[in-house]
Amino acid sequence: MTGNAGILRRLSRRASFFSAIATITCFALSVPAIGQDSLQQLDLDLPLRLDFSGSWEKDFRRSDNWEDELSRTLRIRQESAARQQSSPGSSRIRATPPISVGNINLPRTRRRGASIVDLARLAEYISRQNTIEIKQTRNEIIIERSGEAALVCGVEYDLQRTFANEHGVEVCGWDGQQLVFQIMLPDDLIIMHRFTVSSNQQVLNLLTSIYSKGGEPFNLIQAFTKYETPRDEFNCIQTLSRGQVCNQSGADLSGVLDN
Amino acid sequence: MRYSEGTSSNWLMCVATSLLLAGCAQTIPEPIERHLDLVGDVPLNRATQTPADYALLEVGVEIFTAPQKESEDYEIGDWVFDEIIQKETQFLPHLLKNTLIDSNQWGAVRVIPESDPSLDLFIRGEIIQSNGKTLELQIQAFDSSGREWLNRVYADQSIQEEYPESTRFTLDDTFDAANFVEPFQDIYNRLANDLVEVRSNLGEQVLTELNLVTDMLYAKDLSPDTFAASLQETEDGLLRIDRLPSLDDPMIARVADMKYRHHLFIDTVDEYYQTLYDDIQPAYVLWRRYSIDQLTEEETSREEAGSSDYGNSSGFLSLSQRYDRFKWSKIFEREFTDLASGFNNELAPAFLELNSQVHGLTGTMEQQYREWRGILRRLFELENSDSATDSSN
Repeated sequence: MTGNAGILRRLSRRASFFSAIATITCFALSVPAIGQDSLQQLDLDLPLRLDFSGSWEKDFRRSDNWEDELSRTLRIRQESAARQQSSPGSSRIRATPPISVGNINLPRTRRRGASIVDLARLAEYISRQNTIEIKQTRNEIIIERSGEAALVCGVEYDLQRTFANEHGVEVCGWDGQQLVFQIMLPDDLIIMHRFTVSSNQQVLNLLTSIYSKGGEPFNLIQAFTKYETPRDEFNCIQTLSRGQVCNQSGADLSGVLDN
Repeated sequence: MRYSEGTSSNWLMCVATSLLLAGCAQTIPEPIERHLDLVGDVPLNRATQTPADYALLEVGVEIFTAPQKESEDYEIGDWVFDEIIQKETQFLPHLLKNTLIDSNQWGAVRVIPESDPSLDLFIRGEIIQSNGKTLELQIQAFDSSGREWLNRVYADQSIQEEYPESTRFTLDDTFDAANFVEPFQDIYNRLANDLVEVRSNLGEQVLTELNLVTDMLYAKDLSPDTFAASLQETEDGLLRIDRLPSLDDPMIARVADMKYRHHLFIDTVDEYYQTLYDDIQPAYVLWRRYSIDQLTEEETSREEAGSSDYGNSSGFLSLSQRYDRFKWSKIFEREFTDLASGFNNELAPAFLELNSQVHGLTGTMEQQYREWRGILRRLFELENSDSATDSSN
């Protein structure tokens, strides 16, 4: 699916989703208070988000191969350059970065951005995980990838700054039902992760885009499918001096901590 | 789904601009270097002989407070550290109490949940900053007459060597509480010395009257109507004795009896805080050790970042290094947050125990304390009404 038609289709699907939610909400509000005690109270100030939770494994068949994607990108650029050379009068459209990082006090220079080859290699470097674990509550979503720092975001409408230090700034937010993380690194290097889950919650798409100094991004798409993990037999709690303290699921841990 | 080059970047730009516009305003947090007036090395002024009775004031150290952060200042995970500060408010006063006792300059010294009218001197503190490296406290002390003894900020910094190896306790190397010296002990020593200095400037007459003011203040707290005329507020806002009941007045004996019972209660409360501190001290010291390690690591990392020239290369190696530095600093911070969370988990049973100690009373220690004072007041009224009935018969 490419271009505006695809976007419109996605927007239309999103609108349908919201209208369904609105209908359900209106219906729920109009239903007489039967068995109110057993109903969990819904915080209407928090937006409803699609369920990303679960264990996901990479579907290599549906995921981009970074070298193929690089070749494709280079070919498109060459074709575009050739077209421009053949019509020198046409104005050149240049992509601008999604975010100016000129004011985030990161070390930067005025040199050219990184080459698309290096961006592609970086995209491959940061996308090597074959599995993803996602935990989601009514308030936040935690995305764990082996060898990587967890991505954590709230479900609120606002943009949230999730991490910031001298090595970079990470923000997250929601674009409709897509979860977006943006990492701004020194020297105008930007990494954007966009998570999308299918309506049946069986397929997770992760689009990673890497920008350098406002140049064209390199995009890499990975698809993940859900798999079932066996139920954890142990209920664990982290402690400072004893590490993880565990007992069998369902048992009360307070006694363990007392001892 | 395939993103063609032109459309995908335009689409991304469009969405990113609308969604993450506020990202433009993201600023890298510069480390805030506030000037701290450190207390330095301070030996404790210990009394070799017990001071005169009038100088043996009863001291109450109230549970500290901590400033509440604005909600917009919160980042994900910050609540974990807030919870730790809230716990510290309950056991840092204990360190001050121990120092005051150690100085041999005072009467009974207790940690109490809130202001108490039966004590001569009262100390209140706010934790401005607390981590393994820096402790900064705003301390206010005032006596029962309302006179302010001190109101200033005390700050101290520790070094890694002040945390002995036994603070990383393992099964083979358990925490040696007896030989552990609190890294911020200088703060408490300075504070104790300052209080002694203020006391020595007040003189015998003022301190003797202060004892009487405390007695009358407590009597007034028990029965405001009966003892309303005993104290008067001066122009400068201090309480002075206006009229003293006769020493053989049975009401005074009953007040003394109530005060004795009340002190038994607050002694018990103080013991609970002592138990709490004993329970959590090993984990707390370990936590502080992790904290100073984390802060030292952050400083090193900041220096490395400052000396790095990221711009010299846009090659893959430079890009991946930039990403790795960010990634590892984030992983490190996340691990530290997990440790903080583990610390809170470990302390939870001790705090639960503290709040469920007093049989028959419910709620937090502060609520139980208020409940107890209410019970004593009602008991006092009851005893007074009984004695009035007896005398009329």
